Amino acid sequence: MLAESLKSVRTRWPGRIVGAAGGARLDRGCIFIVPSRVGAAFGVALLLMLLAAINYRNNLAYVLTFLLGAVFLVGVLHTYRNLAGLRLQAGAPAAVFAGEQARFPIRLDSDGRAHQALALGWSSGAPQLHDLPAGGAVTVELGLPAPRRGWLPTPRLRVESRFPLGLMVAWSWIAPEQRALVYPQPLPGDLPLSAGALEEAEEEGRRARGEGVDDYQGLRAYRPGDSKRRLDWKAYSRGRGLLVKDFAALEGSELCLDFSALAGDGESRLSLLCHWVLELSVRQRPFVLQLPGRRLGPDSGEAHREACLRALALYGEAP
Amino acid sequence: MTAAQSGAALQPIPRVGLTWLLIAQLLVILPHLGHLPAWIVGLWLGCAAWRVQIFRMRAPYPNGRIKAALMLGTGLGVYLSRGGPVGLEAGVVLLIAAFVLKLVEVRSRRDALVVIFLGFFALATACLFEDGILAALYYLLPLAALLAALIGLQQSALAANPWATLRLAGGLLLQAAPLMLLLFLFFPRFEPLWTLPGPRERGVTGLSDSMTPGDIAELGQSGELAFRVGFEGPLPERSRLYWRALTLEHFDGRRWSQASGAQQLEPPAWEKRGEPLAYSIVMQPSNQPWLYSLDVAGSAPDDARLMDDFRLQQRRPVTQPLLYRVVSWPDSLREPEGSASALRRALQLPERGNPQSRAWAAELRRRHPQSEALVQALLDHFNREPFHYTLKPPLLGRDSIDEFLFASRQGFCEHFSSAMTFVLRAAGIPARVVTGYQGGEFNPAGNYLLVHQFDAHAWVEYWQPQQGWSAVDPTFQVAPERIERGLQQALGEEQGFLEEAPLSLARYRDIGWFNRLRLSWDNLNYGWQRWVLGYQGEQQLQTLRNWFGSADLRLLGVAAVASVAAMWAVVALWLFKPWRREGDAQQRLFRRFERLLARHGLQREPGEGPRAFAERAARQLPAQAGAIWAFVVLFEAQRYAGREGAPGELARALRRLRRTLPWRADRG
Repeated sequence: MLAESLKSVRTRWPGRIVGAAGGARLDRGCIFIVPSRVGAAFGVALLLMLLAAINYRNNLAYVLTFLLGAVFLVGVLHTYRNLAGLRLQAGAPAAVFAGEQARFPIRLDSDGRAHQALALGWSSGAPQLHDLPAGGAVTVELGLPAPRRGWLPTPRLRVESRFPLGLMVAWSWIAPEQRALVYPQPLPGDLPLSAGALEEAEEEGRRARGEGVDDYQGLRAYRPGDSKRRLDWKAYSRGRGLLVKDFAALEGSELCLDFSALAGDGESRLSLLCHWVLELSVRQRPFVLQLPGRRLGPDSGEAHREACLRALALYGEAP
Repeated sequence: MTAAQSGAALQPIPRVGLTWLLIAQLLVILPHLGHLPAWIVGLWLGCAAWRVQIFRMRAPYPNGRIKAALMLGTGLGVYLSRGGPVGLEAGVVLLIAAFVLKLVEVRSRRDALVVIFLGFFALATACLFEDGILAALYYLLPLAALLAALIGLQQSALAANPWATLRLAGGLLLQAAPLMLLLFLFFPRFEPLWTLPGPRERGVTGLSDSMTPGDIAELGQSGELAFRVGFEGPLPERSRLYWRALTLEHFDGRRWSQASGAQQLEPPAWEKRGEPLAYSIVMQPSNQPWLYSLDVAGSAPDDARLMDDFRLQQRRPVTQPLLYRVVSWPDSLREPEGSASALRRALQLPERGNPQSRAWAAELRRRHPQSEALVQALLDHFNREPFHYTLKPPLLGRDSIDEFLFASRQGFCEHFSSAMTFVLRAAGIPARVVTGYQGGEFNPAGNYLLVHQFDAHAWVEYWQPQQGWSAVDPTFQVAPERIERGLQQALGEEQGFLEEAPLSLARYRDIGWFNRLRLSWDNLNYGWQRWVLGYQGEQQLQTLRNWFGSADLRLLGVAAVASVAAMWAVVALWLFKPWRREGDAQQRLFRRFERLLARHGLQREPGEGPRAFAERAARQLPAQAGAIWAFVVLFEAQRYAGREGAPGELARALRRLRRTLPWRADRG
């Protein structure tokens, strides 16, 4: 009963939330501390010891009880100190595809003291435990499932400490003020190429296919800037050095990935487009991404790919 | 959240935590060995070995059936060896058994916590059995080990280092010590909430409620401490130190015992006379309800009362060292009127036996019609005739008084007092035997008296109309040095003092340095008992009254809370050392500057210098740019350029900036 209500206080009562965009320093205003469930059990044990001392009028038993009670009081300070002065800074997370885990880098800085057994976690989910040496810094990556495309806002971050005795739990809520960009989940499928591009494609008498085997020209040596997706790992493992699968760029043919030319609901269209953006980028073919009200390209390369993925991720959302 | 928490509770135990748990268990059980049956030790060794094998993956955890069998077997063992599940000993055996058994099935952190808390409680029960200085110092070891085990359950690099864990546990105990002292000082000592069975009698030597020839002589072989006395005034003469324990009024021809009617509740009539003596006594456990006092105890401790034979008695037996204060009036007039029932009891004699003594008593009565003259004649007789004071008197037959008075004439104090009381009663003078202690050893190291079991004594009281009860000691006539100097001197060279107790420290009183050491150590124990163990009830109130002028509960409550809070704050200061972290005043002012701007959405980036920060701030708050620059330039000048500034200058610059800023900017 008590534990239940304590828990609800702990989860519902965020207290002051510290923004961590510019680095948050934990101090009086944002650290909360209450006895943990273990602490409550400790209190019950102390009560029993006190009863024994009273009923047997034994001063040494009183001394023992008071000493443990005082340890509890001092433990409050130690647990608090384990959080106080800690600096947190949330870094920018890398973009991920929907269905993957977004990884948020959190940098912990000590202000000169060592911090032990810090538990970091989102308001939901299991926390990670980390130690921080005196004056040192640690970067922790916290994963967060990214179920759908768009901006993934970070939930509140909870920093918790029960060190040293586990009798108290001290915690702070931090709003990292960072968000992760989530691209649509790529879905392989056939692509009906849009009007202008279709003609060109028909000229060449073929439709672009997912596999793209026809364009495969062979292997060439790796040059800096080549996409890592095209590395031939099998060849590398056979000791032939870093080789890149080379695809013939179809000269003069400009592919257009057109949202309005696709069938199906919006999300699956975006997923399909996403797949083709990746695919065409791997093949280093210039393409155009045509979204309602927006046209990107024709272009190729990393920057174009990123821009297209971003446009897909944020399609229909505020940028 | 919940999942995470229970996940943490069910995590396996780190190695260091388990190691400390095993050590703590050893340390907790050691002081209990004296009152644990041997099979518990076997059980414990077996369980510890099993636990270690489990940790080394050489043995499985016990399954449900084995656990049930172990618990059942243990319960049965406790029942068989302690005669049932009641009593402190049985409870402690059960507790230790649970403590031991639980260790085997410790899998998760939660189980380990149960073992640790059981350990704390087992330690508290150890205090009930043994609470001397050495024991108290020893208890710090298991306490530190238990705390180290608690820390060792944390998953951190520090908790993986056994010595760092122990050091932290020790540090916690040290920091807790001042708080503990305050709690100890102020916490009210309540009356026991309910009565619990105390530690069982452990062959405590001491006076019993009856006396047969040879009983007190046996005590004379014991060098154990009976009680310690500190006088508030000068120490009275040794010959006045007759410590009454109880009176024996019923004689069956061989044994003196307490009369059945002596338990009346009404206090006896007596009249204070002469100068009072105030003293406090720290009594060792006797497992008997009576307390020791000089005649007549005018003020009794709270739960004791003066019984109708002038003995002090409390409701419960003294099972722990007891501190009490008494004021006695040694020259009082006691029961000048006499009570019919008391006098009848004081004249009781068996129907038959000891004819020679009875005849002699009748003859004495004829010669001395006055009671006082008769008593004097009797004492003279002991003095004149060749009576011998000895610890090893010959055994006496059926008519013990006759044999002693007219044949053997060798005896210890109980022989003399018993014979004298018999003769007085036979002569029609109400009389009774008083047992207690006489004299004591003065400890110059602490200015108090040590009374040992070998100081046990028996003397005589007789009653006269108008004069009441008077004490008289026949032993004094035979061996005056026993009263004036003590048993060792009275026995002389030919009889070994404490020869049956070679380990008794009191036996080696003749070795000067050793004796000084013994007395100093005893003084330490006396202080411990008076000021630590005896800090209860009246003693506590008196101390607090001395310090605070009154023992008003509300005042004391406020003082307690305030002082504990203040001490806590001191510990906090010591732990956080804010003077070290905050740096100097300039740094503090700069922090305030930062906080001020933070309210307007300007956070200084880590690594951003004051100047760069000011530039950014000035861009964002153009209206306040002047004040911002003024502050930062002054700060840099004082901090980095080494320019001495008036201490208030920077603070004034900050105030100017604050005035120009609205309280909180709309972030829009």
